[in-house]
Amino acid sequence: MSEDGLDPVIHAPARLRIAVTLAALRDGDNLSFTKLQDLIGLTPGNLITHLRKLEDAGYVTTARNGSGVTARTSVALTGSGRAALERYTTVLRQLLDSASQPQALDAKR
Amino acid sequence: MNERAGTTGNAGMDTTGNAGMDEAASTADGTPMGAAEAAVIMADASQRARRQFRVSHRVSFTVWGLGLLLGYGTMWLNVRGQRPPYGPDLATFAVVTLLAVGSVMSGLNEARADSGVGGLSAIRRRASFLSVLLGLAAMFALGGALAHAGASQAVISVFEASAPVLVAGLFYLSTSIVQLNWPVACLGAWLLAVAAAGGFAGPAGVWGVNALAAGLAYLLMAAIEPRLRWA
Repeated sequence: MSEDGLDPVIHAPARLRIAVTLAALRDGDNLSFTKLQDLIGLTPGNLITHLRKLEDAGYVTTARNGSGVTARTSVALTGSGRAALERYTTVLRQLLDSASQPQALDAKR
Repeated sequence: MNERAGTTGNAGMDTTGNAGMDEAASTADGTPMGAAEAAVIMADASQRARRQFRVSHRVSFTVWGLGLLLGYGTMWLNVRGQRPPYGPDLATFAVVTLLAVGSVMSGLNEARADSGVGGLSAIRRRASFLSVLLGLAAMFALGGALAHAGASQAVISVFEASAPVLVAGLFYLSTSIVQLNWPVACLGAWLLAVAAAGGFAGPAGVWGVNALAAGLAYLLMAAIEPRLRWA
């Protein structure tokens, strides 16, 4: 089994971290841009770039509330983003299982 | 399948050492990200996020436990031996203040865990905090109504001691049952039992029973909460 089955939108370290972090939120919750940046450890520019890719795929939504200094940008995982991450996790698990099986067979020999 | 952007060396690295904009399916050193590396990233990000988003009730349990133990204990020392009971004086003020401080500190503590998280959970938590304050306010108003209706000081004392514990117990039980949070549900049920049974200890004894039985239960919950969260 190859890694081609992994969703290329998610299969990047930064975007994988973003998706997993947002998936840890409860349904209906969102995370502020600054908190997400703090958790992921990216510069604002880098984070915006990755978020845009995820947003283009329909995996996250961003919303800007308020104006001026009180403005808050929030980010949330969409339903299709959560489903995509679940698919990604399933494929990843299969990849890891298939990679460990030959090793187990070798060890038996 | 994968975007390859590992050709920029460390250009995409940010201050934390994480690969940044220029990374795609590549790790920080530019090599393609494999399944094992992806699994490690997922586990790390998931653990970090859950730790950040977890709301600890330890501070609020401690504050309420100490508030009950000290406030109710002071009240009990103040009113015991009164024949006939004529009620507390400054101790009432101390209890009300301690409970108010406890409520505010609980709210602030939980709001801190909220910081950065918006949406339904934040709204739900604020509404819960407000409902406790409303419950306590209604309770004090009812105490005034009882006095106005001619209730004896003994009856008012039993009510004043038991009602806050009853409100808190009902709050914990109703909110934790929805989340299937059994330890907090047990605390709620215990507080209800203490509030109901403590009244039989009389206008003075009710303060002592609630101080020990409810206050120590809160402190016990504060002590075991971290273990329960990891269980």
